[in-house]
Amino acid sequence: MANIDEKLQKIARDLLESKEVSLIIGYTGGSHPQRMRPVFITKPEDVGRLSFNRHSVQDLAVFLKKQEVKKFGRIGIVVKGCDEKALNVLMQEYQVSRENIKIIGVECNGVIRQDLADKGETDLSENTVYDKCLMCGEHTPILHDYLIECADPQISMSGDIKPFAKIEELDSMSSEEKDVFWEKEFDKCIKCYACRQACPLCYCSRCIVEKNVPQWIDTNFGKIGNAQWNLIRAYHLAGRCIGCGECERACPVNIPLMLINGKMARSIHDLFGYKSGLDVDAKPVFGVFSESDFNDFIK
Amino acid sequence: MEDKKEELAKTSGDNDPRIIAFVCNWCTYSGADLAGTSRMKYADNVRVIKLPCSGRIDPMFIVEAFKKGAKGVLISGCHPGDCHYISGNYHSRRKYAIFRNLLGFLGVDLNRVEFSWVSASEGNKWVHIINEFTDKIKSLKNGSNDIFKK
Ligand code: SF4
Ligand code: SF4
Ligand code: FES
Repeated sequence: MANIDEKLQKIARDLLESKEVSLIIGYTGGSHPQRMRPVFITKPEDVGRLSFNRHSVQDLAVFLKKQEVKKFGRIGIVVKGCDEKALNVLMQEYQVSRENIKIIGVECNGVIRQDLADKGETDLSENTVYDKCLMCGEHTPILHDYLIECADPQISMSGDIKPFAKIEELDSMSSEEKDVFWEKEFDKCIKCYACRQACPLCYCSRCIVEKNVPQWIDTNFGKIGNAQWNLIRAYHLAGRCIGCGECERACPVNIPLMLINGKMARSIHDLFGYKSGLDVDAKPVFGVFSESDFNDFIK
Repeated sequence: MEDKKEELAKTSGDNDPRIIAFVCNWCTYSGADLAGTSRMKYADNVRVIKLPCSGRIDPMFIVEAFKKGAKGVLISGCHPGDCHYISGNYHSRRKYAIFRNLLGFLGVDLNRVEFSWVSASEGNKWVHIINEFTDKIKSLKNGSNDIFKK
């Protein structure tokens, strides 16, 4: 662990001292030992605060959309494999340019679910990490300028745990049953839009929910509009979402948003053979079409 | 305006379900027009809303129609290769393939959402699609798609 931190700090110091970047976004110890939090380092003498471990759950790419961060110009950022996919989408969509960003990749074999970590969990196992970690195909960040090897062993899988098994369960339900399930979930939504704020790919300066000519989504305090909001959020991220899980983690009422994101990702892979965030040079899946696209549902 | 929209989408009962059809100006609308000028008869449950192209039919239109009480929504445009704007229908096909899956996953009965390609000469096809869709909607239990009404 200490080894990782030292390497991180050395990279950060070099980058800041050589003025290659003017800001490093990374992790530092949080409010208790099982929590990490984002940290913004601008001076070489502060790099000692940088750290990384199995509690580094946040996707720091979310900060790149902020004006306060953008004004630093050249930025160094610490990313896990999943977080780096968000960078790839941002580059694909011309939100971030590769020259302005130094990617400090950290190999990662999983991060511990925050809800468990808050109860004291420190073990890395198939029972303690997020579902996305169990399915992860990018333990090593795809693009990186620096790479720090992993301190944790690979998680051994017993085969008993099926990540996102609930998606299949829902797929096999009738419309009425699905309707009941989602109605119960969406009724909880308080329209705080934390899911949007936490998402590295929700960068529109004016979200559809804030547009009122016409107003597509009811924004009053009641339950009306909840389903529309959740639907449109998922739809606007279809083919873009890289499955970091930050939306679900941010949701104060625990709506299982990853089920919807996961379903969308599967559909897009099934229909168009596309997975988001893997290739910066790929055209976004909804920016292109093929004459032989799936047509079965059209009369 | 708001009242008009409500009125348009309102369904008076199980036997008279309101169906909203979003169609493109160049093919499907002309096809429907042909059906009309040829004096073909078809179910009067449908209310047609004309847009420039199927690529202009935003998925939120579907949601809005259900919200306002429609029992079925039809999206229709030019056949692949025939779009007036060359590729609008290819783009809409791609997005609707996914949007449809999303609706289904969230519990919308996909029997209530129909898609078709109808050309300007296919008055017959238009009549057939509307009649068939209307019958299907009538045969469905009332009540689903309430997810957007609340
Ligand atoms: S929608 Fe959620 S899981 Fe997908 S990229 Fe955004 S925050 Fe991450
Ligand atoms: S974070 Fe949860 S409660 Fe807040 S708007 Fe999103 S889904 Fe609703
Ligand atoms: S003009 Fe008819 S689908 Fe584009």
